[in-house]
Amino acid sequence: MGSARSESSGRARPPAPAFTAYKILIAGGFGSGKTTLVGAISEVRPLRTEEALTTASVGLDDVTGVAGKTTTTVALDFGRITIGSEVVLYLFGLPGQERFSFLWNELAYGALGAVILADVRRLDECFPSVNYFESRGLPFVVAINCFDSAPRYDPEEVRLALDLDPDVPAVLCDARDVESVKQVLITLVETVAARRSATTGSRR
Amino acid sequence: MPPSGRWRPRDSGPVVRPYAVTGGRTEPADGEVLDLIAVVVATGRAVTQDDHPPLSPEHRRILGLCQHQITVADLAADTTLPVGVVRVLLADLITQGLITVVRHRPPPAQRTHNDVLQEILNGLRAL
Repeated sequence: MGSARSESSGRARPPAPAFTAYKILIAGGFGSGKTTLVGAISEVRPLRTEEALTTASVGLDDVTGVAGKTTTTVALDFGRITIGSEVVLYLFGLPGQERFSFLWNELAYGALGAVILADVRRLDECFPSVNYFESRGLPFVVAINCFDSAPRYDPEEVRLALDLDPDVPAVLCDARDVESVKQVLITLVETVAARRSATTGSRR
Repeated sequence: MPPSGRWRPRDSGPVVRPYAVTGGRTEPADGEVLDLIAVVVATGRAVTQDDHPPLSPEHRRILGLCQHQITVADLAADTTLPVGVVRVLLADLITQGLITVVRHRPPPAQRTHNDVLQEILNGLRAL
Protein backbone atom coordinates (compact mmCIF):
# COMPACT_ATOMS: atom_id res chain seq x y z
CA MET A 1 0.00 0.00 0.00
CA GLY A 2 3.04 2.26 0.36
CA SER A 3 3.24 2.73 -3.39
CA ALA A 4 -0.06 4.59 -3.42
CA ARG A 5 1.56 7.76 -2.16
CA SER A 6 4.10 7.95 -4.94
CA GLU A 7 1.46 8.64 -7.57
CA SER A 8 0.46 12.19 -8.25
CA SER A 9 -3.27 12.38 -7.79
CA GLY A 10 -4.01 14.45 -10.88
CA ARG A 11 -2.45 12.17 -13.47
CA ALA A 12 -4.64 9.76 -15.40
CA ARG A 13 -3.68 6.15 -14.74
CA PRO A 14 -4.02 3.37 -17.29
CA PRO A 15 -7.27 1.55 -16.48
CA ALA A 16 -6.61 -1.68 -14.59
CA PRO A 17 -8.90 -4.61 -15.32
CA ALA A 18 -11.77 -4.61 -12.85
CA PHE A 19 -11.50 -7.42 -10.33
CA THR A 20 -14.42 -9.26 -8.84
CA ALA A 21 -14.45 -10.38 -5.23
CA TYR A 22 -16.35 -13.52 -4.26
CA LYS A 23 -17.54 -14.25 -0.74
CA ILE A 24 -17.29 -17.61 0.97
CA LEU A 25 -18.78 -17.81 4.46
CA ILE A 26 -17.26 -19.88 7.25
CA ALA A 27 -19.87 -20.85 9.84
CA GLY A 28 -19.84 -23.13 12.85
CA GLY A 29 -20.27 -23.09 16.60
CA PHE A 30 -17.93 -21.31 18.97
CA GLY A 31 -14.54 -23.01 19.08
CA SER A 32 -15.19 -25.04 15.94
CA GLY A 33 -12.04 -23.63 14.32
CA LYS A 34 -13.34 -20.86 12.02
CA THR A 35 -10.48 -18.46 12.67
CA THR A 36 -7.97 -21.32 12.42
CA LEU A 37 -9.39 -22.35 9.05
CA VAL A 38 -9.31 -18.83 7.60
CA GLY A 39 -5.79 -18.36 8.98
CA ALA A 40 -4.55 -21.62 7.47
CA ILE A 41 -5.14 -20.44 3.91
CA SER A 42 -4.98 -16.65 4.09
CA GLU A 43 -3.84 -13.77 6.21
CA VAL A 44 -6.62 -13.17 8.74
CA ARG A 45 -7.61 -9.64 9.54
CA PRO A 46 -10.25 -8.38 11.92
CA LEU A 47 -13.11 -6.33 10.59
CA ARG A 48 -15.23 -4.13 12.83
CA THR A 49 -18.86 -3.74 11.97
CA GLU A 50 -22.05 -2.89 13.77
CA GLU A 51 -25.07 -4.98 14.47
CA ALA A 52 -28.47 -3.87 15.69
CA LEU A 53 -29.11 -5.07 19.21
CA THR A 54 -31.86 -7.65 19.22
CA THR A 55 -33.92 -9.04 22.06
CA ALA A 56 -31.63 -12.06 21.89
CA SER A 57 -28.76 -9.94 23.14
CA VAL A 58 -30.65 -8.36 26.03
CA GLY A 59 -28.84 -9.41 29.15
CA LEU A 60 -25.73 -10.29 27.16
CA ASP A 61 -24.76 -6.82 26.05
CA ASP A 62 -24.50 -4.39 28.89
CA VAL A 63 -26.30 -1.25 27.80
CA THR A 64 -26.73 0.22 31.26
CA GLY A 65 -26.30 3.97 31.08
CA VAL A 66 -26.45 4.09 27.30
CA ALA A 67 -30.19 4.22 26.84
CA GLY A 68 -30.97 4.53 23.16
CA LYS A 69 -27.95 2.53 22.09
CA THR A 70 -29.29 0.21 19.44
CA THR A 71 -26.16 -1.14 17.85
CA THR A 72 -23.21 -3.09 19.11
CA THR A 73 -19.78 -3.48 17.56
CA VAL A 74 -18.95 -6.91 16.21
CA ALA A 75 -15.49 -8.05 15.20
CA LEU A 76 -15.35 -10.71 12.55
CA ASP A 77 -12.43 -12.36 10.84
CA PHE A 78 -11.84 -12.27 7.16
CA GLY A 79 -9.13 -13.42 4.83
CA ARG A 80 -8.45 -13.00 1.14
CA ILE A 81 -7.13 -15.46 -1.41
CA THR A 82 -5.94 -13.98 -4.69
CA ILE A 83 -6.89 -16.35 -7.50
CA GLY A 84 -5.76 -14.18 -10.39
CA SER A 85 -5.63 -10.55 -11.43
CA GLU A 86 -9.40 -10.47 -11.82
CA VAL A 87 -10.71 -12.89 -9.20
CA VAL A 88 -10.23 -12.70 -5.44
CA LEU A 89 -11.90 -14.93 -2.85
CA TYR A 90 -12.89 -13.49 0.51
CA LEU A 91 -13.49 -15.76 3.46
CA PHE A 92 -15.68 -14.37 6.24
CA GLY A 93 -15.97 -16.05 9.62
CA LEU A 94 -19.56 -15.70 10.83
CA PRO A 95 -20.36 -14.80 14.42
CA GLY A 96 -23.16 -16.61 16.28
CA GLN A 97 -26.36 -16.48 14.26
CA GLU A 98 -28.84 -16.14 17.15
CA ARG A 99 -27.41 -12.74 17.96
CA PHE A 100 -26.15 -11.45 14.63
CA SER A 101 -28.84 -12.33 12.14
CA PHE A 102 -28.64 -8.96 10.37
CA LEU A 103 -24.95 -9.43 9.73
CA TRP A 104 -25.58 -12.95 8.45
CA ASN A 105 -28.08 -11.67 5.92
CA GLU A 106 -25.67 -9.01 4.73
CA LEU A 107 -22.78 -11.45 4.41
CA ALA A 108 -24.89 -14.15 2.78
CA TYR A 109 -26.13 -11.73 0.14
CA GLY A 110 -24.28 -12.56 -3.06
CA ALA A 111 -22.11 -15.20 -1.38
CA LEU A 112 -20.76 -18.02 -3.52
CA GLY A 113 -21.28 -20.61 -0.81
CA ALA A 114 -20.53 -21.57 2.77
CA VAL A 115 -18.48 -23.99 4.83
CA ILE A 116 -19.98 -25.21 8.09
CA LEU A 117 -17.24 -26.35 10.44
CA ALA A 118 -18.52 -29.14 12.64
CA ASP A 119 -17.19 -30.41 15.94
CA VAL A 120 -18.57 -33.94 16.41
CA ARG A 121 -18.75 -33.38 20.16
CA ARG A 122 -21.19 -30.50 19.62
CA LEU A 123 -22.96 -31.29 16.38
CA ASP A 124 -26.15 -29.55 17.53
CA GLU A 125 -24.33 -26.23 17.10
CA CYS A 126 -24.42 -26.81 13.34
CA PHE A 127 -28.21 -26.95 13.09
CA PRO A 128 -28.81 -23.18 12.93
CA SER A 129 -26.26 -22.84 10.09
CA VAL A 130 -27.63 -25.84 8.18
CA ASN A 131 -31.18 -24.49 8.46
CA TYR A 132 -30.10 -21.00 7.48
CA PHE A 133 -28.17 -21.97 4.33
CA GLU A 134 -30.86 -24.48 3.30
CA SER A 135 -33.56 -21.84 3.62
CA ARG A 136 -31.52 -19.35 1.57
CA GLY A 137 -30.65 -21.92 -1.08
CA LEU A 138 -26.96 -21.18 -0.58
CA PRO A 139 -24.66 -24.08 -1.51
CA PHE A 140 -22.65 -25.36 1.46
CA VAL A 141 -20.42 -28.18 2.64
CA VAL A 142 -20.03 -29.56 6.14
CA ALA A 143 -16.38 -29.88 7.13
CA ILE A 144 -15.85 -32.06 10.18
CA ASN A 145 -12.89 -30.61 12.01
CA CYS A 146 -10.76 -33.47 13.29
CA PHE A 147 -9.76 -32.28 16.72
CA ASP A 148 -7.07 -34.47 18.27
CA SER A 149 -9.23 -35.07 21.34
CA ALA A 150 -12.49 -35.75 19.49
CA PRO A 151 -13.74 -39.21 18.54
CA ARG A 152 -13.61 -40.07 14.84
CA TYR A 153 -16.86 -40.49 13.00
CA ASP A 154 -17.61 -41.61 9.51
CA PRO A 155 -18.75 -38.52 7.55
CA GLU A 156 -21.82 -40.52 6.53
CA GLU A 157 -22.85 -40.74 10.19
CA VAL A 158 -22.50 -36.98 10.49
CA ARG A 159 -24.52 -36.49 7.34
CA LEU A 160 -27.32 -38.64 8.81
CA ALA A 161 -27.17 -36.87 12.16
CA LEU A 162 -27.49 -33.48 10.47
CA ASP A 163 -30.11 -34.77 8.01
CA LEU A 164 -28.23 -33.28 5.06
CA ASP A 165 -29.59 -33.31 1.53
CA PRO A 166 -27.88 -35.82 -0.79
CA ASP A 167 -26.07 -33.06 -2.70
CA VAL A 168 -24.47 -31.56 0.43
CA PRO A 169 -20.98 -33.02 0.96
CA ALA A 170 -19.74 -33.90 4.44
CA VAL A 171 -15.96 -34.19 4.57
CA LEU A 172 -13.28 -34.60 7.20
CA CYS A 173 -10.80 -31.76 7.57
CA ASP A 174 -8.01 -30.37 9.69
CA ALA A 175 -8.61 -26.63 9.97
CA ARG A 176 -4.90 -26.07 10.74
CA ASP A 177 -3.70 -27.68 7.54
CA VAL A 178 -3.57 -25.63 4.36
CA GLU A 179 -3.93 -28.67 2.07
CA SER A 180 -6.95 -29.89 3.98
CA VAL A 181 -8.60 -26.45 3.94
CA LYS A 182 -7.86 -26.16 0.21
CA GLN A 183 -9.64 -29.45 -0.36
CA VAL A 184 -12.68 -28.23 1.60
CA LEU A 185 -12.89 -25.07 -0.51
CA ILE A 186 -12.43 -27.07 -3.72
CA THR A 187 -15.28 -29.37 -2.64
CA LEU A 188 -17.44 -26.32 -2.01
CA VAL A 189 -16.74 -24.73 -5.41
CA GLU A 190 -17.37 -28.10 -7.09
CA THR A 191 -20.69 -28.26 -5.25
CA VAL A 192 -21.56 -24.75 -6.47
CA ALA A 193 -20.71 -25.78 -10.04
CA ALA A 194 -22.65 -29.06 -9.78
CA ARG A 195 -25.73 -27.35 -8.42
CA ARG A 196 -25.48 -24.69 -11.09
CA SER A 197 -25.35 -27.21 -13.95
CA ALA A 198 -28.16 -29.21 -12.30
CA THR A 199 -30.48 -26.19 -12.25
CA THR A 200 -29.63 -25.05 -15.76
CA GLY A 201 -30.08 -28.63 -16.97
CA SER A 202 -33.55 -28.99 -15.45
CA ARG A 203 -34.77 -25.84 -17.18
CA ARG A 204 -34.14 -27.28 -20.60
CA MET B 1 -18.52 -10.09 27.06
CA PRO B 2 -17.97 -11.83 23.74
CA PRO B 3 -19.24 -15.41 23.61
CA SER B 4 -15.69 -16.58 24.24
CA GLY B 5 -15.79 -15.03 27.69
CA ARG B 6 -12.31 -13.74 26.98
CA TRP B 7 -11.48 -10.20 25.92
CA ARG B 8 -9.09 -9.55 23.13
CA PRO B 9 -7.52 -6.09 22.74
CA ARG B 10 -9.69 -5.30 19.75
CA ASP B 11 -12.84 -5.93 21.79
CA SER B 12 -12.11 -3.05 24.08
CA GLY B 13 -13.18 -0.61 21.36
CA PRO B 14 -11.78 2.60 20.03
CA VAL B 15 -10.74 5.57 22.15
CA VAL B 16 -12.73 7.92 19.92
CA ARG B 17 -16.39 7.09 19.32
CA PRO B 18 -16.39 5.67 15.79
CA TYR B 19 -18.99 8.00 14.30
CA ALA B 20 -17.15 11.09 15.54
CA VAL B 21 -15.13 10.94 12.30
CA THR B 22 -18.32 11.18 10.25
CA GLY B 23 -19.68 14.09 12.25
CA GLY B 24 -22.23 11.76 13.77
CA ARG B 25 -23.65 10.65 10.43
CA THR B 26 -24.48 6.96 10.26
CA GLU B 27 -26.05 6.82 6.78
CA PRO B 28 -24.13 7.21 3.52
CA ALA B 29 -24.92 10.61 1.94
CA ASP B 30 -25.95 9.01 -1.36
CA GLY B 31 -28.17 6.48 0.43
CA GLU B 32 -26.34 3.51 -1.06
CA VAL B 33 -25.08 0.87 1.36
CA LEU B 34 -22.08 -0.64 -0.39
CA ASP B 35 -21.51 -4.36 -0.11
CA LEU B 36 -18.53 -5.48 1.97
CA ILE B 37 -16.85 -6.72 -1.17
CA ALA B 38 -17.88 -3.90 -3.50
CA VAL B 39 -14.74 -2.74 -5.34
CA VAL B 40 -13.88 0.97 -5.46
CA VAL B 41 -11.05 3.03 -6.96
CA ALA B 42 -9.94 6.66 -7.04
CA THR B 43 -11.04 8.49 -10.16
CA GLY B 44 -7.75 10.37 -10.35
CA ARG B 45 -9.39 13.77 -9.93
CA ALA B 46 -7.16 16.03 -7.88
CA VAL B 47 -8.36 17.25 -4.50
CA THR B 48 -8.95 21.00 -4.56
CA GLN B 49 -9.67 23.71 -2.00
CA ASP B 50 -13.26 23.85 -3.27
CA ASP B 51 -14.06 20.29 -2.21
CA HIS B 52 -17.02 20.31 0.09
CA PRO B 53 -17.20 19.06 2.73
CA PRO B 54 -13.45 19.55 3.24
CA LEU B 55 -11.63 16.24 3.39
CA SER B 56 -10.83 14.92 6.87
CA PRO B 57 -7.66 12.91 7.55
CA GLU B 58 -9.82 9.76 7.40
CA HIS B 59 -11.19 10.77 3.98
CA ARG B 60 -7.61 11.26 2.80
CA ARG B 61 -6.50 7.91 4.19
CA ILE B 62 -9.30 6.15 2.35
CA LEU B 63 -8.57 8.09 -0.84
CA GLY B 64 -4.90 7.12 -0.56
CA LEU B 65 -5.79 3.44 -0.22
CA CYS B 66 -8.08 3.70 -3.26
CA GLN B 67 -5.26 4.50 -5.69
CA HIS B 68 -5.62 0.84 -6.59
CA GLN B 69 -8.87 -1.12 -6.73
CA ILE B 70 -9.85 -2.18 -3.25
CA THR B 71 -12.88 -3.65 -1.47
CA VAL B 72 -14.88 -2.01 1.33
CA ALA B 73 -13.81 -4.83 3.68
CA ASP B 74 -10.12 -4.22 2.93
CA LEU B 75 -10.57 -0.49 3.47
CA ALA B 76 -12.16 -1.11 6.87
CA ALA B 77 -9.41 -3.53 7.88
CA ASP B 78 -6.61 -1.25 6.61
CA THR B 79 -7.96 1.82 8.39
CA THR B 80 -9.29 -0.14 11.43
CA LEU B 81 -12.46 1.93 11.07
CA PRO B 82 -15.83 0.19 11.45
CA VAL B 83 -17.46 -0.78 8.15
CA GLY B 84 -20.35 1.63 8.72
CA VAL B 85 -17.95 4.56 9.09
CA VAL B 86 -16.05 3.57 5.96
CA ARG B 87 -19.35 3.47 4.03
CA VAL B 88 -20.25 7.03 5.12
CA LEU B 89 -16.80 8.40 4.23
CA LEU B 90 -16.76 6.54 0.90
CA ALA B 91 -20.15 8.00 -0.01
CA ASP B 92 -18.73 11.50 0.57
CA LEU B 93 -15.80 10.77 -1.72
CA ILE B 94 -18.06 9.20 -4.37
CA THR B 95 -20.40 12.21 -4.28
CA GLN B 96 -17.40 14.49 -4.79
CA GLY B 97 -16.23 12.47 -7.78
CA LEU B 98 -12.99 11.42 -6.12
CA ILE B 99 -13.86 7.72 -5.97
CA THR B 100 -15.94 5.51 -8.20
CA VAL B 101 -17.49 2.07 -7.67
CA VAL B 102 -16.00 -0.47 -10.05
CA ARG B 103 -18.12 -3.45 -8.93
CA HIS B 104 -21.13 -3.17 -6.68
CA ARG B 105 -21.36 -6.86 -5.82
CA PRO B 106 -20.47 -10.18 -7.38
CA PRO B 107 -23.05 -12.05 -9.42
CA PRO B 108 -25.08 -14.50 -7.29
CA ALA B 109 -23.86 -18.10 -7.20
CA GLN B 110 -26.46 -19.37 -9.66
CA ARG B 111 -25.37 -16.79 -12.23
CA THR B 112 -21.64 -17.14 -11.74
CA HIS B 113 -20.17 -18.40 -15.01
CA ASN B 114 -18.73 -21.90 -15.11
CA ASP B 115 -15.50 -20.39 -16.46
CA VAL B 116 -15.16 -18.32 -13.30
CA LEU B 117 -15.87 -21.34 -11.10
CA GLN B 118 -13.29 -23.29 -13.09
CA GLU B 119 -10.79 -20.45 -12.69
CA ILE B 120 -11.40 -20.46 -8.93
CA LEU B 121 -10.94 -24.24 -8.80
CA ASN B 122 -7.69 -24.05 -10.77
CA GLY B 123 -6.49 -21.21 -8.58
CA LEU B 124 -7.24 -23.10 -5.37
CA ARG B 125 -5.52 -26.25 -6.63
CA ALA B 126 -2.44 -24.20 -7.53
CA LEU B 127 -2.14 -22.58 -4.09
